[in-house]
Amino acid sequence: MIELEIDGKKVEAEPGNMIIQVADAMGVYIPRFCYHKKLSIAANCRMCLVEVEKIGKPVPACATPISQGMRVFTKSEKALAAQRAVMEFLLINHPLDCPICDQGGECELQDLALGYGDDLSRYTEGKRAVDDENLGSLIATDMTRCIHCTRCVRFGTEVAGMRELGTVWRGEHMEIKTFVGKSLTSEVSGNIIDLCPVGALTSKPYRYTARAWELQQRYTIAPHDCLGSHLNVHVRRNEVMRVVPRESEAINETWLSDRDRFSYTGLKSEDRLNQPMIKQSGHWQSVSWEVALEYMLEALKKVIAVQGPEQAAGIISPSATLEESYLFQRLLRGLGCPNIDHRLRQIDFADQDSMPLYPGLKVKIADLEQQRAVLIIGANVRQEQPLLALRLRKANLKGAQIFCINPIDYQVNFNLNQKLICHPTLLPEMLAGIIKAILVKQAIEAPTTIAEQLKSIQVTEQQQAIAEALSVNQPSTILLGAIAQQHPQAATLRSLASLLAELTGASVNLLTEGANTAGAWLAGAVPHRGAVGLTQDKLGQTIAELFAEPRKAYVLFNVEPAQDCANPKQVTKALQQADLVVALTPYNTPYLQQHADVLLPIAHHAETSGTYVNAEGEWQSFAAVVSAPEQVKPGWKVLRVLGNLADLADFNYTASTEIRDELQGMLANHSLKVAKQVQPRINLAYTKHPLTRITEWPMYRVDGLVRRALPLQQAASHDSVGIRINSKMIEQLQLAAGGLATVEQAGESVTLPVILDERIPQGCALIAGGFAETEVLAESFGAITIHV
Amino acid sequence: MFDSIFAIIWIFIKIIAIVLPLLLCVAYLTYAERKVIGYMQGRIGPNRVGILGLGQPFADFLKLLCKEIIIPSASNRYLFIIAPILTIAPALAAWSVIPFSQDIVLANVNAGVLFIFAMSSLGVYGVLIAGWASNSKYAFFGALRAAAQTISYEIAMGFALVGVLLAAGSVNLQEIVLAQQGGLWHWYWLPLLPLFVIFWIAGMAETNRAPFDVAEGESEIVAGFHVEYAGMSFAVFFLAEYTSMILISILTVLFFLGGWLSPFEGIPGLQTAFAFVPGFVWLVIKTCFFLLLYLWIRATFPRYRYDQIMRLGWKILIPVALLWVIVVSAAIICKIGPWFS
Amino acid sequence: MMPLTSEWLGVNEKIMNKLKHFFKSFLLWELLVGLKLTGRYLFSKKITVQFPEEETPRSARFRGLLALRRYPNGEERCIACKLCEAVCPALAITIEAEPRADGSRRTTKYEVDFFKCIYCGFCEESCPVDSIVATSQMHYHFEKRGENIFTKEKLLAVGDKYEKEIAANRTKDSAYR
Repeated sequence: MIELEIDGKKVEAEPGNMIIQVADAMGVYIPRFCYHKKLSIAANCRMCLVEVEKIGKPVPACATPISQGMRVFTKSEKALAAQRAVMEFLLINHPLDCPICDQGGECELQDLALGYGDDLSRYTEGKRAVDDENLGSLIATDMTRCIHCTRCVRFGTEVAGMRELGTVWRGEHMEIKTFVGKSLTSEVSGNIIDLCPVGALTSKPYRYTARAWELQQRYTIAPHDCLGSHLNVHVRRNEVMRVVPRESEAINETWLSDRDRFSYTGLKSEDRLNQPMIKQSGHWQSVSWEVALEYMLEALKKVIAVQGPEQAAGIISPSATLEESYLFQRLLRGLGCPNIDHRLRQIDFADQDSMPLYPGLKVKIADLEQQRAVLIIGANVRQEQPLLALRLRKANLKGAQIFCINPIDYQVNFNLNQKLICHPTLLPEMLAGIIKAILVKQAIEAPTTIAEQLKSIQVTEQQQAIAEALSVNQPSTILLGAIAQQHPQAATLRSLASLLAELTGASVNLLTEGANTAGAWLAGAVPHRGAVGLTQDKLGQTIAELFAEPRKAYVLFNVEPAQDCANPKQVTKALQQADLVVALTPYNTPYLQQHADVLLPIAHHAETSGTYVNAEGEWQSFAAVVSAPEQVKPGWKVLRVLGNLADLADFNYTASTEIRDELQGMLANHSLKVAKQVQPRINLAYTKHPLTRITEWPMYRVDGLVRRALPLQQAASHDSVGIRINSKMIEQLQLAAGGLATVEQAGESVTLPVILDERIPQGCALIAGGFAETEVLAESFGAITIHV
Repeated sequence: MFDSIFAIIWIFIKIIAIVLPLLLCVAYLTYAERKVIGYMQGRIGPNRVGILGLGQPFADFLKLLCKEIIIPSASNRYLFIIAPILTIAPALAAWSVIPFSQDIVLANVNAGVLFIFAMSSLGVYGVLIAGWASNSKYAFFGALRAAAQTISYEIAMGFALVGVLLAAGSVNLQEIVLAQQGGLWHWYWLPLLPLFVIFWIAGMAETNRAPFDVAEGESEIVAGFHVEYAGMSFAVFFLAEYTSMILISILTVLFFLGGWLSPFEGIPGLQTAFAFVPGFVWLVIKTCFFLLLYLWIRATFPRYRYDQIMRLGWKILIPVALLWVIVVSAAIICKIGPWFS
Repeated sequence: MMPLTSEWLGVNEKIMNKLKHFFKSFLLWELLVGLKLTGRYLFSKKITVQFPEEETPRSARFRGLLALRRYPNGEERCIACKLCEAVCPALAITIEAEPRADGSRRTTKYEVDFFKCIYCGFCEESCPVDSIVATSQMHYHFEKRGENIFTKEKLLAVGDKYEKEIAANRTKDSAYR
């Protein structure tokens, strides 16, 4: 510990700290533009000049390490004079356009100019002007305003791991530019808006619409991935104007993914459902809530009474809040129907009984940085959990070895020590290879369940290296992503991963879909378990069975069936034949109009209070940031009223927090005992199709809200729907890249553009889900044929 | 038979001949009031209706005529309606004995002074009834104040008149005027100066005019006894007030300023030069002066406090009036000239 | 008037003052003085302004009806900086903005509620482009509810109508700004 003095106050700090870090910790503010605690030190703005005793010139506080007995004066005359002079320099070329600048009112330069600047400039020469950059649909630029702090450049190179911005020229001519005039493709690019201390980089969707002083800041949780990033929603006159991150070291640090930041633009979509509607003899009628609820409940009860409870099914979004999931399953189970599921995109449920209380991360998000070896299986981490990828990048920069087994050669923002890209059906085999490598190396007898199956597997050098690294480098982690969980052999993958973890001492972590998969499991929105994992008398059937064997009644909660589910064709067919389809939905889509019988408008995540349980099991409650429009009601209230109407006991909640507390109480009194790994169910056998469809849900197609966020859709235009296929396959199938081709799956066909994508392995084509265009297609990893 | 009918018709004609011009006078008195007070406040008063705003009184009259008469539901309907009539009737009746000239008079009653005195005292009943019938705090306060004030000043006024009656030796108004013959210095204002002032002050108080208008007292009790009245019922109160004003002015002239007598009497040269002016004109001129004084005083003085009014009436005006009655009696007994010789 | 001094009368001053006061009040002296004052005013010059025909002169800084101005080329001045909205103590101004087709910052809604406006002129003072200005217009009225809210079009129309006068007033005042 070093003792030093700042502004006359004695303070102790670790050696190696900079003056500004010590000053920040003790609450002494030193003006700064280029320094940011999460970025490297550049010391190029010189605003933080302070006086240090026995040093002749003022020194930059951000780049001067502390030393024993140092006496720092941040507000001495000399320091202030130096800061004032720097401010004058900075203002020489800064335009006087604060009135039209979006940063006005929340601008560090503006604030400091008010404190340090003169009211008149001594500079009479012409000011510098710089051409603006086109950074895409999310970030607006006014490069003339740039003061060259290079925070955005450092963010790109250090944090996001994509060197998309850089500086060209020098001195007064220095400019921030994209390399070769590209727009930003990073999934965390929005953070440079927060980083920019001036108005050079601002939010494009928010552009010119509001002022900082008009906004009310409200707290909520991000609804799109399983991290549950902390958000501050800025609201004006009951309208969400923008979203900014709320600092949370444990989850999102100071960052936010673009999906969480800009998805609010989808809140005001035109197809918003504003009042309850029922379909009577083919015609839609707007009705009151009373009528709609009575009608729906009567019809549902009738189906259950006449056709039997197994003929009803409840499908709820994995992004529904904990309270909604809990009430949803209570309502349906109360009516006698045990068929409840939230695992929209999963296919294989063979191991559901051996699942823990809820799937998720065993490692804290923040602790991912400390991992020494990470194996990623079937995950596009950058798209699925962008901020988790940043943690992995941090770990990687600290020396962690990262490996992946993926069907697609995804671009990542860290170095992959080994990557195994294979046909999707070979994923279990690849994983088994690693296990075999360890078994061989450690001379352990293979468990009987797979011993036979392992025999035929050839271990490659890569697999050996991965096996080696995982067992040597501790702590180590295995991450199973969306593709692994949506895989037809997901249970096998999970079991293999568990086995591998046992052998290497690594932890198995599931990167779950939606914002609240963990919450849905806890709330009992699964067919085989009740809330907090209580065993059920009547076991329900999984979502795959519910659609494969069509039922008579479906209750859909915040689900767009054809775009959210694994097998849209099957889903559509099932809904078509059903007697009753009730959709609790924020949107009134043509699809629902065609297939549903009752539409109940429920609130968006921003309009309801609730709780998300993130992948690491953190219960994060939030309140509504805006009120719901017109007749729209928060989902938990709708479900509560339905419960009351159905005369179910204990349905009298007055606040969502009561529901949460009830669940928490149940959890405290009950702990799930899962029979210890019922024997991993491992089956490496597969059927290989001549041409396999790979389905992923692109980052901006994961749920209804982002699908309606126009700026995000424009930003992801390179991710547009199409048949993604490698050049060899194009040749083989006699297709033309850029041309159109027809995909056939299970008797349905759709014509889509062919997109050359070398990341795709042989024998496969990537046809994304979540698009209206691919609604007709069937299962995620099924056989397809493609012809021109 | 026909004679008696004719006599009645003749009386009616005479009444109309007095009342109509009187009401016209009232109308223009309101106009004059607004103009004079306006001028005294540096303004110019009404000037929009007709030339110089001369149509203003008729506009106001029409407005009041068209307005709804509101009868408060909690009021005593019968008394509420009868109150303004009870106020206007005595105010007009008093005019029957006023001599406008040597021989222009509706009824040359010997007890004219007593009649007027009786009539002017009756007016307060209308105010009292209005205040009571309205069933409103403010109106009731106003009525109580008006009653107490009128009774108090009636005494001082009465004593002031006693002095006049002593000096004139008659209760017939014509004779009182004729007793003052002999020019400006023979009029009673000089020998009965204190009584003249007391009569005038008491007259102002009797008519509830500023600075003795506590019965209305806008600033404290909104509008006093007539706060619940609107439209024509209110206008009747208004008419009564202004009729009383003119009455008091003309009485002051008759009692103290020689009525219709020319001020130049007994001044050689001027007397003959102004001999052609009819006495009526002199009466009007003198009356107008007092009406102006009414307005002038209103524009000048703030309202008395209620206790001050009482103190002035009982402790100053009555003793002074009594004292001067004694002085006058003594002067008459001692035959002090030139008035009482 | 005779010098009524105590010496002359040979009585003590206290009694003298009492006497003076007695006669003064008994002879209604103060009342007469008051009457004299109002009497003099009866003949003084009248200061009434005959309103529709005459008007009192108004300063170039008079703050009347608000207006939005344009540049001589017809482009609206307002850049939607919202400073006027922020500074308005009566919250009479409501602004909504977005980028116009040409990318410039413009208002889509600029409303002034003249029932709320207190004519303090802060909006004019805060405006960096002299867009919102207080004209010297003071004769206007609203006949229906809702008319009190002036839209951007209305405010611009007011500005167009009185632009000459507004410009003249600004020129007059420019030396002091």
